[in-house]
Amino acid sequence: MRGLRRVALGMAFSFFVLSLGLVYWQVVQADTLLENPANRRLILMESRVTRGGIFDRNGEIIAKTQTIDGKRVRVYPKGEMYEPTLGYSTARLGAAGLEGSLANWLMGVKNATAAQTIQQMFSLPRQGDDVVLTLDSHLQSVAYNALKGKKGAAIAIDPQTGEVLALVSQPGYDPTNLDDHWKDIIKQTEEKPLDNRAFSLFPPGSIMKVVTSASLFRSGLNTTNLYECKGSTVINGQVIPEQNQEAHGWVNYNMALADSCNTYFATFGVQAGDKSFLSAAKGFGFGQKIPFELNVPLSQITNSPKVPESLSTNLLAASCFGQGQVLVTPFQMALVTAGIANHGVIMTPHIVERVLDPSQTVEYEPKPQPWLTALSKDEADKITSAMVTAVTAGTASPGALPGVQVAAKTGSAEPGGNQPTHAWYIAFAPAEAPRIAVAVFVEHGGTGGGAAAPIARQIIQEALARK
Amino acid sequence: MLYYFISRMIIMGIMWLGMVLLKWGGDGSQLVWQALIFTVIVLMGGFAEKVLHYEGDPYVLPVVQAILALGLVFLVRISPVIGLRQFWWANIGQLIFYGILFAVRDYRQLGKFRYLWGLLAVSLLFITLVFGFAAGGATSWLRIGGVGVEPEEFVKLALLLFMATYLEENEELLRVGTVQVGKFSLPDWRTLGPFLVMAVFSLGLLGAQKSLGTALVFYALFVLMIYVVTERALYLGISLPIFLLVGSLGYLLFRHVRVRVIVWLNPWQDPTGMGYQIAQSLFAISGGKILGTGLGNGIGAAMVPASSTDFIFSVIAEELGFAGAMAVLLLFLIVVMRAFSISLRAKDRFGQILAAGIGILLGTETLIILAGVTKLLPLTGIPLPWVSYGGSSILVHFILLGVLLNISNATAVGSQRNKTKGREYAT
Repeated sequence: MRGLRRVALGMAFSFFVLSLGLVYWQVVQADTLLENPANRRLILMESRVTRGGIFDRNGEIIAKTQTIDGKRVRVYPKGEMYEPTLGYSTARLGAAGLEGSLANWLMGVKNATAAQTIQQMFSLPRQGDDVVLTLDSHLQSVAYNALKGKKGAAIAIDPQTGEVLALVSQPGYDPTNLDDHWKDIIKQTEEKPLDNRAFSLFPPGSIMKVVTSASLFRSGLNTTNLYECKGSTVINGQVIPEQNQEAHGWVNYNMALADSCNTYFATFGVQAGDKSFLSAAKGFGFGQKIPFELNVPLSQITNSPKVPESLSTNLLAASCFGQGQVLVTPFQMALVTAGIANHGVIMTPHIVERVLDPSQTVEYEPKPQPWLTALSKDEADKITSAMVTAVTAGTASPGALPGVQVAAKTGSAEPGGNQPTHAWYIAFAPAEAPRIAVAVFVEHGGTGGGAAAPIARQIIQEALARK
Repeated sequence: MLYYFISRMIIMGIMWLGMVLLKWGGDGSQLVWQALIFTVIVLMGGFAEKVLHYEGDPYVLPVVQAILALGLVFLVRISPVIGLRQFWWANIGQLIFYGILFAVRDYRQLGKFRYLWGLLAVSLLFITLVFGFAAGGATSWLRIGGVGVEPEEFVKLALLLFMATYLEENEELLRVGTVQVGKFSLPDWRTLGPFLVMAVFSLGLLGAQKSLGTALVFYALFVLMIYVVTERALYLGISLPIFLLVGSLGYLLFRHVRVRVIVWLNPWQDPTGMGYQIAQSLFAISGGKILGTGLGNGIGAAMVPASSTDFIFSVIAEELGFAGAMAVLLLFLIVVMRAFSISLRAKDRFGQILAAGIGILLGTETLIILAGVTKLLPLTGIPLPWVSYGGSSILVHFILLGVLLNISNATAVGSQRNKTKGREYAT
């Protein structure tokens, strides 16, 4: 029976080859096939889950899945206010924003509870987790109304915890029935309502001086020493102009920041050297991935690498007051502001306050955690005091509030070409015990004091009134 | 006793766990009744084996029942209506199995009809081709009293019996040969005649029905059985060029053959058109990864065409993952190997050949459909024994199982009757 034994051997071998085939498809090729556009697995899996709700810190509904006429519909009672930060999720368009980045929670697949795991295994109708955000609808609404009609972004952060209290980018869009008016949205190539301006890169202009300040202190600059501003200066053959050629006269550090004196910061910034400037920028998080629930592009000093080893004198001089190749996201500048407010420590920003499973048990709750130590307490105090001067007697005065000491810095960044400047305003209050830090950016808005400061003031006022 | 108990508990565990975990829309009471009947048959069957002194192979039946239970769970998962019907067939099939196991006193009687089996096989195929209706691209169905019957399943049985009878009779002539052709001595036409007529007719008719999968199974069955009996590599050697020649001719002449090969070579070229079936099968299988998506949680059951028949393995591989798919493979391998082992032990030549043929048939069927759904071979749709939905397939495979274990029991009992009669037949 040799023949039979051989056939048996051949069969066993064939079964072995078959099992190798299974290994190939189920292990080697599993992820490749999942990404095949003809594979509808992810879409089908998603349609089986009732997506969890998204709420603001007061429990107000931001997004919710409802069954209307037997069909599951994602409703957004707040309309455009939270877009594009909130994003969207549809079978046709995919997902973006928080709806996309929090999908694992909302679908109940991240740290699934025992009940969810069993439901998942046996395809019982599943309910995703609810996500409570740190955002405050009142604050968000104030910032949204203030920015409406403009192009720009506003971010409010609790400097002590890193909680993001408001995150507005305008223009936005209405997320309801997005599939239907998607065409109209992508048609707006000028307004770009899908782009989150809080996470887009722009030149910072003078608000960069708070970063440069750290470099000046570390070079041993005596901040009380006086410097004569003549309206412009020449460094290494390059003319450094003041805004409108205004000569600030004899200024110390406080006055230089308050009046936003370019020549002061360029002169002493170059004196302090590129290494000191670059290390200060790095300390504030330039060129570093921000640990956050949403993807934020890296803020940069030069185009490549984002934070180089060294800078030419000319580029350094321009970078010291936020021109040259410096590009920042408004979100990054909000973190810089929060760091100064929190005595030099930038807290890890977060937008998720807690995640609740379907039985409303807390499943995840981030604790405040320091991210970077950008400044010593002494350095932070010096910058704070200069930012206070900027509000009381400088360019930032349009952001002043009665009864509360605001610390702020303006920026009017040259976007290049013959276009109006970008308006920036970073601020925190109360200066002695900060509870809120904001960064406001208005694209081609003009001056920071004129276009951005009133928006920041309204946000701060609302925030302090509510706490 | 312990083995008997544990094996039956595992079978019941597979079925009842699956049934409990699944949720069925609508009324499940009929399914529960059928599942209870299934339970009773499995347990009572085991009891009957003890009472009637069954002493054959103890592994094959529990393994087949485990495969069957798994198949039932997945059919209920794919469609409770289909699952319910399959329960009927499974229960009837098991009763027929026990009928054959205990009622057939001497399996050698089956060889009595000799070429009538061959005639029956060819006639069945011919009737199907003329009166049959097409489903899934192949004209392989007959409607008898309102019930769709797949005659080619029964043809498997008839052909197997024909082959066993024929090979037993002509073993020596096929082995030694009487005509010298060059270096090889071949059997004469008188010996080869009946077989060649059968082979050409049955394969030709299957080809005409576009039942390529079944034709492939039969081809492998013919070749391997001849090889097993004669132990001449020559027959394997001849089969390969014939296969390539026929295959190439089919490829050149028939569009549906060409399409299968093209789709096999690159299903991604047109994953929503011609490559849809195999692409969906691979999406399902690959989605299972190591441990599977969990019972009832896959997409294959809804997305893969023919998920309850030819592609049921894709659904199993998705929902139970690599682990579950390997378990299914191993269970089938056990059945095939036990069939060969029964063949090796059988005391008479007819039993040996028949048992080996059953093992070969089960093995090739499993390999061809599983290699098809995993894209190792071009896809040729045939049912996976005891798992795919289909009454004809279930009944025929239980008849085959009955014959197999009847041989095993007869060997083990080794009664006087068997010994003496065996000698008469032995050559």
